[in-house]
Amino acid sequence: MRTYEVFLKPDGRDEFRHAGSIEAPNDEVALVMARENYARRAEGSRLWLVDRARIVVGDEDFVAPNADKPHRHNDGARVAERRRRLREDGK
Amino acid sequence: MEAFEGFLDDGGIVEPDDAMPDAYREAVFRFIEMHANSELMGGLTERDWIPRTPGLRHKMATLAKTQDEIGHGHLLYMVAADLGVKTRTGMLEDLFAGRSRFHNVFHYRAKTWGDQVAIAFLVDAAALVSQQAVFKVCSYGPYRRILKRIIAEEGFHMRFGEERMLRIAEGTDVQRSMFQRSINDWWWPALQLFGPDSRPDDVLLRWHIKSERNEVLRDRWVQKFVPLLQGYGFAIPDPGLAFDEEEGHWVSGPIDWEPLEKTVQQAGPDSARRIGEAAANWADSQWVRDALDRVAALPDVA
Ligand SMILES: [Fe+2]
Ligand SMILES: [Fe+2]
Repeated sequence: MRTYEVFLKPDGRDEFRHAGSIEAPNDEVALVMARENYARRAEGSRLWLVDRARIVVGDEDFVAPNADKPHRHNDGARVAERRRRLREDGK
Repeated sequence: MEAFEGFLDDGGIVEPDDAMPDAYREAVFRFIEMHANSELMGGLTERDWIPRTPGLRHKMATLAKTQDEIGHGHLLYMVAADLGVKTRTGMLEDLFAGRSRFHNVFHYRAKTWGDQVAIAFLVDAAALVSQQAVFKVCSYGPYRRILKRIIAEEGFHMRFGEERMLRIAEGTDVQRSMFQRSINDWWWPALQLFGPDSRPDDVLLRWHIKSERNEVLRDRWVQKFVPLLQGYGFAIPDPGLAFDEEEGHWVSGPIDWEPLEKTVQQAGPDSARRIGEAAANWADSQWVRDALDRVAALPDVA
């Protein structure tokens, strides 16, 4: 038996979302199981199944350091400050 | 544990791969396992009523509800198994051997269509009230996400229950008195589904698995169903029930917790038969699992 992660895409606008998981012996049976368990009332129009064993995981130590890279952001504060000074000087 | 509790208090969400204290893992697992068992036991009774549901539209709805309940069990067993405490098969074997718990209401027998309607209406509503309170805060991510789906579907069940109840309420005297008997039988079990008052040190509350105390949820349910049933001309089988005019609030009479205690010990009026039926169903469906195992053993076509 394999465990599959189930992703559903609700409509043309939204991205695929993780719905949950399902156990099945192969892809074909997994599709039926996923539809009958997660999409009984048209919760999505497309379905992705990913074998859990094949998921590539980036853990927190690897991913999270990117939270601390201020040079990748610009909140516009410096420009706003300069504009304010120019306005006040022009008075 | 202190850091972990601080994380939970700040609204932290725990995912299956995260480190978590064993006591938390155990508590979340027990809670989800009992929920999963209850869905499965409920689904099996629902199935018994497919051939006996009157009218094609409602018969089809019972079919859909059966699939929903079994589906809820299925998803919850997946979430519970990922906690690594027991395998899914282990949980099912414990259930069929009477070693693990399920909700009190499934320890009673539904004898008439009136009972089945009372269950769909009163019991599904009680389950819905408690699930909503868990969903509101639940710190365990996978459970919270699955609850969202379950709650939406329980909403359908409750609406079907209400529609069926209305038809009986507008029916003949025979139908109405059948339903009154069902209320008499199911009022207390449904009310006891919420359990006795929460203890002050309830870890389910402390760890944000539940958001509200049992007595608060129970009271909310009473406020809704007393006026509803009375409005349709039915009586509530609680001689101590009183209306507090000043507070505008219904107050239940003393609750006898003995019947609930019995169900916890698997000694309810219908416990043995229900568990036996579930075990027999598990044995009868062995051929399906065998077939799936044979498919799993086949070489990949691709
Ligand atoms: Fe359910
Ligand atoms: Fe339900």
